[in-house]
Amino acid sequence: MKKCALILGCLLPLMGLVHSGAFGADGLKVGVILPLTGKLAKFGEIEKRSFILAVDEINASGGVNGKRIDLVIEDTTGKPHVGRSAIEKLISRDKVLVVGGGYSSSVTWAAVAVAQQRQVPFLVNTGSADRITEQSWEYIFRLNPPVSEYPKALGSFISEIGDVKTAVILYENTLFGQSGSKKFSKQCADLGLKVVMEEGYEAGAVDFKPLLVKVKAKKPDFLYMISYVMDASLLMRQAKELNLNPRLFVGGAAGFTLPEFQKNAGDASDYVFSATLWTPSVPYPGAKAYYDKFAATYGCPTEYHGAEAYAAMYVMADALKRATSLTPKGLRDALATTDMMTAFGPVKFVAYDKKTQQNRLPTFLVQWLHGNLETVWPKDVATAKYVYPVPKWNER
Amino acid sequence: MEVFLQTLVAGILKGGLYSLIGIGMTLIMGVMGIINLAHGQLMMVAMYVTFVCFHYLGIDPYLALFISAPLLFVLGMVIQKYTLNPLMEVESLLPENQVLMTVGIGMVLTEIARFVFGSDYRSLKTSYSSSAFYLGEISFSVALTAAFFLAVAFTVFMFWFLLKTDMGRSIRAVGQDKDAASLMGVNPRRITIITFGIGAALVAVAGTLLMPLYYLFPDIGGPFTRKAFVITILGGLGSTVGAIFGGVTLGLAESFGATYIGMAYDDMIGLLIFLLVLLFLPGGFKRLTKI
Repeated sequence: MKKCALILGCLLPLMGLVHSGAFGADGLKVGVILPLTGKLAKFGEIEKRSFILAVDEINASGGVNGKRIDLVIEDTTGKPHVGRSAIEKLISRDKVLVVGGGYSSSVTWAAVAVAQQRQVPFLVNTGSADRITEQSWEYIFRLNPPVSEYPKALGSFISEIGDVKTAVILYENTLFGQSGSKKFSKQCADLGLKVVMEEGYEAGAVDFKPLLVKVKAKKPDFLYMISYVMDASLLMRQAKELNLNPRLFVGGAAGFTLPEFQKNAGDASDYVFSATLWTPSVPYPGAKAYYDKFAATYGCPTEYHGAEAYAAMYVMADALKRATSLTPKGLRDALATTDMMTAFGPVKFVAYDKKTQQNRLPTFLVQWLHGNLETVWPKDVATAKYVYPVPKWNER
Repeated sequence: MEVFLQTLVAGILKGGLYSLIGIGMTLIMGVMGIINLAHGQLMMVAMYVTFVCFHYLGIDPYLALFISAPLLFVLGMVIQKYTLNPLMEVESLLPENQVLMTVGIGMVLTEIARFVFGSDYRSLKTSYSSSAFYLGEISFSVALTAAFFLAVAFTVFMFWFLLKTDMGRSIRAVGQDKDAASLMGVNPRRITIITFGIGAALVAVAGTLLMPLYYLFPDIGGPFTRKAFVITILGGLGSTVGAIFGGVTLGLAESFGATYIGMAYDDMIGLLIFLLVLLFLPGGFKRLTKI
């Protein structure tokens, strides 16, 4: 046993040495925390691969001012307390200049507090609970829109179709779901929609029927769901079983736009709308190229989470390039003056409403049509005409 | 009324499946006196077996029962024989060594699954996965109903096995008193190996039956281990009848809780009942049935 430990002890530093390649000994350390195990591992993996894809591109084209970027990735297992210790470790042990990732809102919320306290800049790229950028924390930046803005495009769409009167909101009972649901019911009020039911559920449930039966009894025009991918698939499959027929099924991004949703929900996914932040067809330079490169490198499709991570890496590299001093403080100041175009859209951190250092982006509405995800709204970027109202299950 | 009936149906059907998960654990608990904390992970393995059968070999999940259950039976025996039994001989301050071992086994199984299949979510799409039939206004999921009746069949079979066969009697004997059983010529070591095998096979059946309804990823075992644990405590440690009651109670509690209190409190309701039973009926439903 002792011998084993000894050999391992000798090997570990060696492995570290092998890793640092052509650029010389010290690269610029960038920390990333992601859920690499646990039930969100799938998304953690997509983001991790996108970070690596971007870092490899940056390093291959000469790095940042002749220096290599070293990614240090820590697993959060999708739990806030593990996320907290992961970022502590990145800051104290690895002495990273800037931290990215985070993934879920709950973990991100726990981690950004540490970043702020230790005065290391954190570029949030996925965590979307509104309050993350509502604290006036000068070390916290957010690339993606907050969850309350996901359905922005949906608002104009509903005004267009006009005859939707009542809505039901289902959300997973997490920081992400609660935040999204609260803001969406407010938006419904502004649109003149009556929210007849608003209820959370525990993510990972086997049986959504009790919930859906209640929805059915309310006979809403419009069902809005804030769910991760597998809950989303089960919700739609069981809605089909129960013959639940609102005029409009809409997902609030997250799970509903992933290829896995269609794969797992099968034909129950047809005609489902979703708000989304990004599709490969968005009019930003590099969006399609990123999508194709990801697919070619890893042999599987990517989605908006990956694009967020990919763009975040470029934003961090840009800040590293412009930083006047290579310290967390210098990085923070450089991030604050970011103004660039990425595959995820234009990035500029501004203050509005209660938010500070928040990037503003438009959102899109997509619909699953015959197994393909088509952008249907706004009209100027649409790839297909939307189908409304959604056909009843027994008339398909 | 419709909502009430639908909730009742959903709860009972789900409870049937939970019972099957619970029986496997309670059996192991009764004979070996340890909680098998890799129970959900064994179920995960069975689900992957079912997935592979369906996806690569085109075998229907209900036929895959005949593959997943025997396979898990063997896996369970191997685990007991080579990892848990050797621990019994080691003198240690912690009699819970075997429990810790099962935790480790659970982690190893999860990571092996992640290594082989990746973290992707998988599910089976059969013709009956999302079809349902209706009695009046109440919908019955075809797959869940089938799972319920198969679960009942397996439970009845288990009863017959435990009460009427030599092997079943030996298992119960070892569960009641290991020393006395060995004096009567029962080899307790062999019995523990077989019991673990049976426990694993039962949870494999549950996993395979769940597969057309649910989805699969490497970390799915944890929540089901917890459910099995709750069911076992509800029913009373080592009691098969208790496990059935425990399973149905948990199914109903989750389902009624979801309808009348809020689905956000799904887990909380199950665990609340768990606490109430521990406080007011320590020993679980076993105390009421005496079996």
